[in-house]
Amino acid sequence: MVEVELWEIMKEWEDFKLSIKYLRVKDREFLTLLGPSGCGKTTTLRIIAGFEKPESGKIIFNGKVVNDVPPYRRNIGIVFQDYALFPHMTVFKNVAFGLEMRKTPKDEVERRVNQVLELVGLKGLENRYPEQLSGGQQQRVALARALVIEPELLLLDEPLSNLDAKIRERLRGEIRRIQRELGITTIYVTHDQEEAMAISDRIAVMNVGTIEQVGKPLELYYNPRTEFVARFLGLSNILELQSDGEKACLGSLCFKTEKAGKVRIFFRPESVHLKEGSDAKIMGYELLPGRIRLRLEVEGHVIIAERFLNELPFTPEKIPKKTGIEVKSFVLL
Amino acid sequence: MKLKWRKLIILIPLTFLILFFYIPILSIIHEGFWDRDNGFTLKYIFSILLNSYHRHIIIFTIEQALASTLLTLFLGLPGAYIFAKYEFPGKKIIRAFLTVPFVMPSIMVALGFLLLFGKEGFFTKLFGDWGILYSWKAILIAHAFYNFPIVIRMVSALWQRINPHYEEMAMSLGARGFTLFRKVTLPMLMPAIFASAMLTFVFCFLSFSIPLILGGYHYATIEVDIFMLIMTLLDFKTGSALAVIQIALSFIFMYLYIKSLDEYSKAEEQKIFRKTKKLTVRELAGIKGLLIGFYSLIVFMFVISPLLAVIYDSLMYNGHFSVEWYRRVFSPHYNPIFGATTLTAIRNSILFGFGTILLSTTIALIVAYSLHRWNFRGKNIFDALVMLPLGSSAVTLGLGYIKAFHTTPLYRTWLIIVLAHTVIAYPFVLRAISAVLRKIKPNLSEAAVSLGANEWKAFLKVELPLALGGIIVGAIFAFAMSIAELGATYMLYSPEYTTITIAVYRFLGSRQFGSASALSVILMVISGISFMIIERIGEEVW
Repeated sequence: MVEVELWEIMKEWEDFKLSIKYLRVKDREFLTLLGPSGCGKTTTLRIIAGFEKPESGKIIFNGKVVNDVPPYRRNIGIVFQDYALFPHMTVFKNVAFGLEMRKTPKDEVERRVNQVLELVGLKGLENRYPEQLSGGQQQRVALARALVIEPELLLLDEPLSNLDAKIRERLRGEIRRIQRELGITTIYVTHDQEEAMAISDRIAVMNVGTIEQVGKPLELYYNPRTEFVARFLGLSNILELQSDGEKACLGSLCFKTEKAGKVRIFFRPESVHLKEGSDAKIMGYELLPGRIRLRLEVEGHVIIAERFLNELPFTPEKIPKKTGIEVKSFVLL
Repeated sequence: MKLKWRKLIILIPLTFLILFFYIPILSIIHEGFWDRDNGFTLKYIFSILLNSYHRHIIIFTIEQALASTLLTLFLGLPGAYIFAKYEFPGKKIIRAFLTVPFVMPSIMVALGFLLLFGKEGFFTKLFGDWGILYSWKAILIAHAFYNFPIVIRMVSALWQRINPHYEEMAMSLGARGFTLFRKVTLPMLMPAIFASAMLTFVFCFLSFSIPLILGGYHYATIEVDIFMLIMTLLDFKTGSALAVIQIALSFIFMYLYIKSLDEYSKAEEQKIFRKTKKLTVRELAGIKGLLIGFYSLIVFMFVISPLLAVIYDSLMYNGHFSVEWYRRVFSPHYNPIFGATTLTAIRNSILFGFGTILLSTTIALIVAYSLHRWNFRGKNIFDALVMLPLGSSAVTLGLGYIKAFHTTPLYRTWLIIVLAHTVIAYPFVLRAISAVLRKIKPNLSEAAVSLGANEWKAFLKVELPLALGGIIVGAIFAFAMSIAELGATYMLYSPEYTTITIAVYRFLGSRQFGSASALSVILMVISGISFMIIERIGEEVW
């Protein structure tokens, strides 16, 4: 397949600047560009596809600079958020389009289209038109159309965001399965951190035109390097405390640190364990399926804790006013 | 309950159309199919179909409409491409120029082409005599003049709405250049191409002034043939039978047009609006700029040259510049032909124009509003009833009015002319008003109602101000069509109701080109004012 590298990519608009120092997508890797809307992730994808040109910088496929290679020579498959299924063609014609452009013999077109339709689970719908399909089915056609040309690189631009939650979850599993099966290098754009965590080998978190951090999902989740990454990937607790060079304390809750002075302590809600005691006031709580999320207050700082119901030192029917807490793992931001 | 009573307002346009469109049309059908002695008969229809002259005319009418449509597409499609894709200096001016044909009376434009291609014409002197005048060629050129802006407007509007993802997708799959256009872009443009072509076809099929003046006797269309049968031969039976054939054909074409328009509006609903590409100085200096410049020049010349020819001719007297023709137009000594003075004609034209504005906007507004905002039983039938007048022709309508009203006191009054103009103009006013009403979201008036306004207040305070631009554009269409109207007016007027257009036609008939030109310039000035009002409003008219 292909390894993609971006070097010093720059592109500027009146009110926005995209600037990527370096990004590498390894051969056969599933990399997700994650960020809020307007952070430049789709533009990055379009630059990789060749629909947009950077003002400076290099786009490299397998060590070769491809800046001047037009999209139709980059051997990519792409799926858009709105699928862009050709409304005047049947499912079969849509999927066969890329092969016809490559002047593939007719019987082989038939064979490969059927094969890929089977792969995405759409056998039997060959003669339907896009408007006769459900959103999920349209999405699969778009995927089949991108895959049938056997691209070396698959680019997915928020492919699931137009679908409802249940179908989204099922389809993301399927995309992952197909990607593994074909071993195709894939770049996936989304703003949904749960989707990114579930599907990716690695995630690149983007914010206002730059990449903040690249890493494996859990690495980003528990060891974010910036507050933006910490907050974007889920609920976080960030405490600004004074450290004496050994520890920083909030009442009886202490964090060991060798840094002296002002420190920022970060930990996830599930790192907060509850025990007997009265360190924290319980300000409020929310019941979630099987879990409980509590809003605690210690010395004027709010801490969010999340626990399974069976881990509580009290019964969920009778939530006390105060509880003891312990933070089992944390990092310094 | 209150709401239901309010909906009875649709009876106003309905009654109007039944009285002044459907009854006249039915009386033509009666005239064509019924004999005083024998009752129902197909005699008159057969006499036309078996007559080689009339048969030739029917075939020619369809042929010239087809050829005009092809020429119009040929001229308009490159423009649609340029307008949809690029931003370039002067685009606004060219765009404005494309509105000119909408407001310019066809008799004046026909006169312009007459002067350009005549024996002493500018074109003939420059390029030699190509035998354009009094042939199908002149008809085709004048029809293209009127209709190519429609093609540019409709096709470029859809082109801009084609989601760029389709083309990018196809590109990522390996398509490019002409293959990309043929396989992906063109099929998506088809609804616009087909709808604009169908509209052009209907217009050319029903066109009157242009073939009358530019085609000569040999190249008459059905419309001209009916006119001649009624006005010179006084053969109402054959005329009506021919009108029945014309109505049948034009309703078929209308049906196809409305079907294609449905497809077009569906495709046009796409929310995507592609930004046009601003051409760089380098591109402008290159081949792209050259081609755009060349096309703009052709558009400019095409639109402006018939107008300039008329102005030039009106100022040339015996080979030198003079205002003699203008003096003659207003002098009673040279003006014996129409039993009214030029000043009366100008006054009549303006009065009929305003009368048409008043009637047609009122009716179109009620129809547009009820079609877009209300649901009621029989809405489909209502829809069809109010759309059909678009497929009627001026001469047929004139004939219908003669048949239906010649025994009533309405006959030979100014009102009957205004009524005819209203029926002719109304479909266009409806189109302009519908276009703006469609853009106003219903939840705006719902918001007003939720804040305590009743439906009428909400309409007055919220929807009407928002729709005003479109209503004014519609009103100007009505005015422009009224002062340009020749066929029906000619059949219904009496001397004291002479209009400018009829006066021009009379001057042409007596071969007084100079006076015809001078009077046409007056017509042009009035149309020019309409044009400027449309430009000022800035509402999308085309």
